[in-house]
Amino acid sequence: MPLRILISFLIGKFVFTVSRLTGVGFGGTWPGEIALIISPDILSYFSRKINKGIILVAGTNGKTTCSLMVKSILETAGNSVVHNVSGANLLNGLVSSLISSFSFFPKNNPLDYCVFEIDENTLPQVLKKITPDIVVCLNLFRDQLDRYGEVDTIARRWAKALVKLPETSKVILNSDDPQIAYLGKNLKAKAVYFGVDDKNTYLKKPEHATDSIFCLNCQSRLKYQGFYYSHIGIWNCPKCGLKRPIPKYTKSFTKLPGFYNRYNSLAAIACTGELDIPQNLIEKVLTDFSPAFGRQEEFIKEGKKIKLFLSKNPAGFNQSLKTVLELNAANLLLVLNDRIPDGRDVSWIWDVDFEILSRQAGSSFGRKNITLSGDRVYDLALRLKYAECDFSICLDLKNAIEKAEIKTNSNEILFVLPTYSAMLEIRKILTGRKIL
Amino acid sequence: MNYKLKIAWLYPDLMSTYGDRGNLIVLQKRCQWRGIGVKINSITLETEVSKLKTSNLIFMGGAQDRQQKLVSDDFLRQKAPLIKEMVEKNIPSLFVCAAYQAVGHYYRPSEGPDIPGASILDLVTVHPGENSKRLIGNIVAELINPKGLQGQLIVGFENHGGRTKLGKNLLPLAKVVSGYGNDGKSGFEGAVYKNAIGSYFHGPILTKNPGLADWLITRALEVKYKKLIELEPLDDKLSDLAKKNIIKRYNLTND
Repeated sequence: MPLRILISFLIGKFVFTVSRLTGVGFGGTWPGEIALIISPDILSYFSRKINKGIILVAGTNGKTTCSLMVKSILETAGNSVVHNVSGANLLNGLVSSLISSFSFFPKNNPLDYCVFEIDENTLPQVLKKITPDIVVCLNLFRDQLDRYGEVDTIARRWAKALVKLPETSKVILNSDDPQIAYLGKNLKAKAVYFGVDDKNTYLKKPEHATDSIFCLNCQSRLKYQGFYYSHIGIWNCPKCGLKRPIPKYTKSFTKLPGFYNRYNSLAAIACTGELDIPQNLIEKVLTDFSPAFGRQEEFIKEGKKIKLFLSKNPAGFNQSLKTVLELNAANLLLVLNDRIPDGRDVSWIWDVDFEILSRQAGSSFGRKNITLSGDRVYDLALRLKYAECDFSICLDLKNAIEKAEIKTNSNEILFVLPTYSAMLEIRKILTGRKIL
Repeated sequence: MNYKLKIAWLYPDLMSTYGDRGNLIVLQKRCQWRGIGVKINSITLETEVSKLKTSNLIFMGGAQDRQQKLVSDDFLRQKAPLIKEMVEKNIPSLFVCAAYQAVGHYYRPSEGPDIPGASILDLVTVHPGENSKRLIGNIVAELINPKGLQGQLIVGFENHGGRTKLGKNLLPLAKVVSGYGNDGKSGFEGAVYKNAIGSYFHGPILTKNPGLADWLITRALEVKYKKLIELEPLDDKLSDLAKKNIIKRYNLTND
């Protein structure tokens, strides 16, 4: 090990150990943050020590769930896997996970795979440092424009970075997201597509929040045979003939509710399928798969079930709402924060179709108990007022959880839809400890 | 009397970046809650201008770069000349963010030639270069126009690279209390010309500032029915609370 890397590795290990011993939750990012200052090459160095392959999972929504699915499949197939802590998906998070997984003694390092979920803006940076065997691109939706910038800008940066991958790499792409499918153009690496073929689940009316409904090639309006959600669907360009690529992987196995989980599982199936993991093993793991951190995660409080559905942008929020209503949700707690990980601008809540919770629409679902909380609770309340919903406001999050839970009957579930920082706070309240 | 309004929403599928739909929802509901009939007409690339012509109120919102380019040709050739005529005839209109820039004389990007605008409002926008700061954050401002609304505080969120300079035919909408506004220097935010308003405010602007929404509705009714209109007040406790929540963060006092 070169001296500089050794030093940064040792210091990183030290920071990691301190974090673990003291129980202060900074082990997911700080070891890497400090190691990177000492040795910017540490990521490339350790990535070369991985035996079988490096897999990167990127996309606005679903990367935590999808990467965890891939990890579970690979582990069940007998591999040792390094994986970054949920949410620690910037460079410092990746390096932290490598530092915590690698041992000081080289013979203790039979690490087979590295499965990283990667932040949209970080993907191009990471691709400069390492050459992954597989990159999974799930989707791109508008999300925190004040931080991430525009969907098109991210896609352009991804395209520029992916084009440099060698023939030996594979890029797994979502056929049904026009922006993602278009990334397959001009690649040296092999493009492998996944998508859903299911006419019965087309939306009756497209959602308002769509981002990529114009042809990436000739800029004219795309034609959709059907939308599944947001701009995800079966599309083609009537003008230049650009078409949705025929997906190789179309059959998903997941018990997780929510249409978006079909895509998460399809991407995991495509990824592990390309690594020649046997189909029956994939199927078994995914059928038994339990949800990721904050994503349909279940808690029991005072004998009542609480389910968390992280909802951080219009496409994701719409999917969460639809999914919980399909599960006959009668009790909802919606929490809107505007801290840095949430995005400071909360305008996006006006792109969410809260109207499906309205008094009128809601009557078909029966009784609704909606509680609102978070730093921007009044903005959320205003949005729901204009959607003509009934709700109660509770400023203090802990009280809000208690109040909402009390209103929940013992045979019912309280569904909680929080933004990112709110989700961490709620987990802390429910579990009594801090994770990140 | 049964009042009715037609609202034109320009390019809802292209120029609707961050919650712009909220402005339409607010206009629509505030009409409906008062028994005013309201119809929202989506005017996009393929829409004939005749549908725009009969509108009593115009809204156009923000866009990403690619979408803005897609719109540009159709807007300048097809829709803008008519909108200009309508604005001159006092049709109330609201242009937010990218639309605010597009209704000016030109937009000068950090590189490349000027992008011509519709010259509906007497303003120009200049991007001061790749490395200059984007103006992002919550913003609080005090209305100085239009008449009747002076002194009210408005809040929103701005996110723009371009700096907008108002020409002499324009009045500023507001004085910045906290944030950047038109160019981060002049201390002004937005513009008012006849019954047209331009602004960088997201939030969206009308949601927490219902006074502006009601002003637009009132002007639309007055122009259409040619008489003085006074709207019934609505319960705006929630938008006041949402507004105060932001104002409080900046240690500013309301009223």
